[in-house]
Amino acid sequence: MSSEGSIPGSNSLLSLVKNTFSRTLRSSNCVPQHVGFVMDGNRRYSIKKEIEIKEGHEAGFVSMSRILELCYESGVTTATVFAFSIENFKRSPYEVQSLMDLAKKRIRQLTTNGNLAQKYGIRIRVIGDLSLLDEDLLKEIKDAVELTKDNKRSVLNICFPYTGREEILHSMKEVITERKVKGNTKIGEYLIDRHLYTGGLPPLDLLIRTSGVSRLSDFMLWQVSNKGVTVELLNCLWPEFGPSKMAWILLKFAFKKSLSDRSYTLEKEDESTSDTSLFQTQTMSIKAE
Amino acid sequence: MSQIQEGVRARVHNPDDEAISSTHTKPPLNASFEKGNANTKLRTLKAITESIYINNEYNKTEKNEIIGRKQQQNYFAYLFYKILLVGLFIVYGAFRYAQYQYNRVKLRIYDLVYNPSNTPQLIRQDVLKLDKIPKRVAAILDMKPIGDVGGGLTGLLNDSSELICWTVSAGIKHLTLYDFDGVLQKNVTSFREEIHNKLSKYYGPSNVPKFVVRIPHSNSMYFNRDDSESEENKKVAIEISLLSNRDGRETIVDLTKTMADLCTQGSLDLSDVTMDLVDSELTQLVGPEPDLLVYFGPSLDLQGFPPWHIRLTEFYWEPDNTEVTYSVFIRALKKFSSCKMNVGK
Repeated sequence: MSSEGSIPGSNSLLSLVKNTFSRTLRSSNCVPQHVGFVMDGNRRYSIKKEIEIKEGHEAGFVSMSRILELCYESGVTTATVFAFSIENFKRSPYEVQSLMDLAKKRIRQLTTNGNLAQKYGIRIRVIGDLSLLDEDLLKEIKDAVELTKDNKRSVLNICFPYTGREEILHSMKEVITERKVKGNTKIGEYLIDRHLYTGGLPPLDLLIRTSGVSRLSDFMLWQVSNKGVTVELLNCLWPEFGPSKMAWILLKFAFKKSLSDRSYTLEKEDESTSDTSLFQTQTMSIKAE
Repeated sequence: MSQIQEGVRARVHNPDDEAISSTHTKPPLNASFEKGNANTKLRTLKAITESIYINNEYNKTEKNEIIGRKQQQNYFAYLFYKILLVGLFIVYGAFRYAQYQYNRVKLRIYDLVYNPSNTPQLIRQDVLKLDKIPKRVAAILDMKPIGDVGGGLTGLLNDSSELICWTVSAGIKHLTLYDFDGVLQKNVTSFREEIHNKLSKYYGPSNVPKFVVRIPHSNSMYFNRDDSESEENKKVAIEISLLSNRDGRETIVDLTKTMADLCTQGSLDLSDVTMDLVDSELTQLVGPEPDLLVYFGPSLDLQGFPPWHIRLTEFYWEPDNTEVTYSVFIRALKKFSSCKMNVGK
C-alpha cells in the first residue's frame, strides 16, 4: 500500500476498504484487546534497501503508525511496542544517539498537531527503566504523557528502554516495598501482575514479532507465558509489515477465537445437559427406593 | 543466600500459603478427559454453523455495550457489517481448511523422510550434519484425552520417554519436560520404568544409558530405574527436569514472598534485590534457561511455562501438528542450528 497512489482516488478507496474491514472485524467482538509488537528488522531493511540506518528506523515508524491505526480502528484497546531494549545500549554510540533523537522527534509528532494520539484518543505511556534516559528525552516523554493522560479510548505503551526481566524485577521490588510499608499485604500472582508496567491494562492476547526470529528477546516475558496468548512470528522485516498483513493476522485471530468460544459454550452445554440427566437418574433412583 | 532458598522451599510445602492465582485457567483439554475427543469433528462443524447463524441474527444479548448502543443507533449498518463478517469468515474458513490439509500432508511426508526406527545411529547421523546443537532443550507436552490414540497417561509417558531417547541419541545432556498439570511429576516411578524400557529398546538391554530425573519443585533427584546412587551410576548421559505450572509464576510469587519476609525482618535490604540475585535464585529453584523450546502442539501456547526462563529461548513448533514425532524434533534442531544470536545488536 503506497502512500502516493498513481491513480487519483486510489487513496480514498484504500482507506474505504480499510475502514470497512476494520468495522467488520469490530462487529465480531473477537478482536484481541491487547497486542504486543516487537518491531524487529529496521536495520536489516536499511541494509537491504541500501539506505541509511536512520532512514530504516524512519520507515519503521511509518509502518508502526499505519498498523496502530488499523488496530485501534478494529477495536484493539491496548498496544505495546518494543521500541528500545536495555540491551540496545550496547550498540554504537552514534546509533544509540540517533535513536534517541528519533524518539524525541517521534514522541512529539505523536502528540502534536492532532496526530494519531488525538484521532484515536490514545493515552501514551512510556514504560521501562526510565532512569537510563537523558533529561531532554525524559522531559519530552513527560510532556507527551501529560498531554494525553485524559484520553480514555485506547492506550499505547512504548517500551523504552525495556526488558521483560527488568519488568518482573521491578514489580517484585514494588511488592516487597508495599509489604514493608503496609505490613500484611497478601502477595499473590495478581499483585505482581498489577505492579508490572502493564498492570491494570487488559491481558495480552496477541504478540507479533517480525523478521523471522523465533525468540522473545526479553519482551513481555510474564505476559506471554500466560496460557492462551497467541504468538505470531513473521518472516518479513518490520518496515515491510504493512496494514494488509496485520489485517490478515487480525482476521485469523478473530476466526480462531470466535470458533473456540463457540465450541467452548457448546461443550459447556453438553456438560450441563449430561449433568442434569445424571441428576435426574439420581432422583429417580431415590424415588425408586 | 541459602536463607532465601530455604524460605521458598518451606513455602512450597505449606498449603496455607498456596495462593489462588488470579490468572489460573482450566488445564488444557480437561473438559474432554472423560468423554474423549471422538465427537470433536461434529462439534467443530456445529460451532462453525452456529457462529455463522448467530452472527446473522440480531442478537439482543450482546455483551459489548458500545456495540449495543450502536445497534440501536444504526441497526442496518450493524447488520451490514455482520453479513460482511460472515462472508469474510466463510472465505477465511475455506482457506484455513485447505491450509490445514496441506499442513497435515506436509507433516506426514516429513514423518516418512525422518524416521529414527529406534536406532541411535540414524539420529546421530542427522545431528552430525548440524553446525551447532543446543545445550538444553525444553519441551511442552499436552496430555491428550483418554479416548484418543496416544492419549491419557500412557500416551504421555510413551511420548516423553521417546523424546528422551532422541535427546540422548542427539548428544544433548539436558532436557526439560513441561506439562501444565504436572502429571509426569506425580507419576515419576512409572515414568522411570518407561524411560528404562524405551532406552533399552534403542540401545539394547545391556547398554542402557544412565539418566537422572530431577523434580526441581520438590528438590528431589531419581537416578536410573532403581535408586542406585553409587558413584558410577551418577555419571549420567542425560538429566531430565520435570516442570509444571507450579514452577512458573507461582515460584516467582513464592520468591517475592520470601524476600518480602526477609526484608521486613531486616535481614535483607531492598537494594540487595538485584537481577543477579533473582536470576541465581530462580536458576536454583527451577533450573537454567533452555536454549530451545519445542512445542508439540498446533500453535504456540506457552501454557504458563516459567516466564523468567524464556528470555532468549528459541521456540519451535509445527503448525497444525498435534503429535510428538521425531520429524518435529529434528526439524527444531535444524532450525536452531541455523539461527543467529545477537543480543541487543
